[in-house]
Amino acid sequence: MRTRSLTKLASLSLVGAMALTACGSSEEDGGGLSGDGGGSTSVVTIAFEGPLSGDNAQLGINEVNGVKLAIDQANKKGDLGFTLKLLEADDMGDPAKAPAAAATAIQDKTVMGVIGPSFSGASQAVAPKYGEAGITMVNPSASNGTLQDQGFPTWHRIMPNDFAEGPAAADWLATKAKKVVVISDKSAYGDGVARSVEAQLKAKGVKVVSQSAAADTTKDYGPVAQAVKATGAPAMFYAGYDAQGAQLAKALKAVGYKGLRMSGNGVKSSVFTDGAKAAGEGWYLSCGCQDVLTAESSKQFVADYKAMFNTDPSTYSPEAFDAANILIEAIKAAKAAGGITREAVNDAVDATDYAGITGQISFGENGDLPEGVGVVNLFQVQKGQIVGLGDIKMAK
Amino acid sequence: MHDALNGLMEYLVLGLTRGSMYALIALGYTLVYGVLQLINFAHSEVFMAGAFGSYLVVERFVSEGDKPPWYGVLGILILGLTSGALVGAIVAYLLERVAYRPLRKRGAPKLAFLISAIGASFFLSQLAGKLFNRLNNNTFPEYFDLNKAVFHIGPAKVSMIQAILIVSALIMMFFLDTIVSKTKLGRSIRGVAEDAPTAALMGIDIDKTISRTFIIGGALGGAAGFLFGTAFVFSNTMGFQPGVKAFAAAVLGGIGNIRGAMLGGMLLGVIEATVPTAPWHGDTTWIPGGNAWVDVVAFIILVLILIFRPTGILGERLGRAA
Repeated sequence: MRTRSLTKLASLSLVGAMALTACGSSEEDGGGLSGDGGGSTSVVTIAFEGPLSGDNAQLGINEVNGVKLAIDQANKKGDLGFTLKLLEADDMGDPAKAPAAAATAIQDKTVMGVIGPSFSGASQAVAPKYGEAGITMVNPSASNGTLQDQGFPTWHRIMPNDFAEGPAAADWLATKAKKVVVISDKSAYGDGVARSVEAQLKAKGVKVVSQSAAADTTKDYGPVAQAVKATGAPAMFYAGYDAQGAQLAKALKAVGYKGLRMSGNGVKSSVFTDGAKAAGEGWYLSCGCQDVLTAESSKQFVADYKAMFNTDPSTYSPEAFDAANILIEAIKAAKAAGGITREAVNDAVDATDYAGITGQISFGENGDLPEGVGVVNLFQVQKGQIVGLGDIKMAK
Repeated sequence: MHDALNGLMEYLVLGLTRGSMYALIALGYTLVYGVLQLINFAHSEVFMAGAFGSYLVVERFVSEGDKPPWYGVLGILILGLTSGALVGAIVAYLLERVAYRPLRKRGAPKLAFLISAIGASFFLSQLAGKLFNRLNNNTFPEYFDLNKAVFHIGPAKVSMIQAILIVSALIMMFFLDTIVSKTKLGRSIRGVAEDAPTAALMGIDIDKTISRTFIIGGALGGAAGFLFGTAFVFSNTMGFQPGVKAFAAAVLGGIGNIRGAMLGGMLLGVIEATVPTAPWHGDTTWIPGGNAWVDVVAFIILVLILIFRPTGILGERLGRAA
């Protein structure tokens, strides 16, 4: 283990150094496109950073397709006065690989903004670098609830973070059960979610039993599942990720736990449904993301997406589509205001008030959606598929 | 009180299931330690290799959702166990030839063996990651109902998979015990463990005996890999955690002592399942946080036992393996 983290550290600092030199040189050149007003041939690039290969590639592909669609539609309209291009920066969802991916975006002087990174860990690793380079970030999916509080200069996120999602999930649970077992996987994400769910449940007068099962060391979820059953609680909430969630689901089925089972966005994936198989049936999942296939506002988007990629959009595709459109609008606004520079685009994104397919989007002081904005939806695993049940506030 | 007893029974079954895995792996550590006084840290990767190897065989015969009749299931289980054991044995044999024998021939210091073991462990784990994948949730196809109740001990259900794990572990341990205490091979293993130079003078081929010890330990570890993969998940890094625990179990029972490893494994599994979860019913555990403390509890008990019995529960009986 030690060897691995040392290697990680070494590669991180090496790539970090490369990235630093990179943005140093771009500053000397004056930030690229500034002052380029009328030329119809000029190119503006939108970067996407996320996993495009490796285990988590599906999520990145869902997102990059949303971005591609937005760029394609904007270019086809023909009223931009410039051509939009996409730069794909593959970070495999890995914080150690994110700096190298970010460096490719930062070095390209035509890059005026980045959609991503898809994952919280990667975002944590490179948000300061994008900030230094003045590249605005519009994030469609990294949900960690502490990213917005770290003063990243160009941070924007268009979906509710974990601290918004947890309480919404707890409000719903409180209507279902008077006693809930909350299990944390002890990861940064899981612990944050568990704490916010517990606090809200207690505020609603629900009795909370805290359990934990560390994601990296728990191999056998039997005793944890048995402990859930032993409390006799009519509901449980798992704060963690999909692969381990599937293990827990199986163990709960094995011990014969019959109560309501729920988890958050970390579990909402095919890794869970494929891993848990029949044991995942009936699990409820909360997610600050849209159910693309049913939401009224995204009908047109779904049709366009299908026409372009020959597959249905999936988790976080609509968020990426909205994020790209916000960025495109900001670039247009910057152009109208005098010139497309990274700084002007970032300012324009700050001032966003955009009616997207996932909702009305504007950004607070910290770059997140303003307090209370952003819809958390409820999903359920039915016949091996994750089915949307609509806004969790309205759900039965 | 009644609730507590019922709960305890359920945790006991879970603990014995976990413990039988620990015991099978611990035997690999203890056998090698017995003959070489070497802690074979790469043994956890032999366990992992058994899981991947048996998967490649099993998935050729069944796929997800197949419902073969009971003799089909039994056949596949035996196939999985033997292929896992075979792969484990091969990997362990190669491990000894490549990582340990050259050092032994040159009379390298003990520390060199340790480094070689750790290096081999990383190598094998990463090799599997490269050859197969680095996902943390590979599963065997489900070709029978794992959760079907086989029988009940009081209120506690013993499921199909738990019964399979415990029974196959017991059968394998019985065979091992017989081999070591009753056969010629067993006698030579005990001879080498007790006093290698003297054993050589008595006409025992030390190299062969050591190779065979690795093969036996590897076969048990590989079979455990198949069982573990069937019950839970398998991955290229699956060996580390159970490996550390099984090593602790071997020390707990008395390293070098075969029955000690069996006892230590079972005991550690039961301790992990029952101590942090006491009093086995209701909302709160005696240890606040319950299962979060499972590793802490397990190792505190290990330390306590070693304070009072420094050579483990049954003691290091090198040479008198059984």
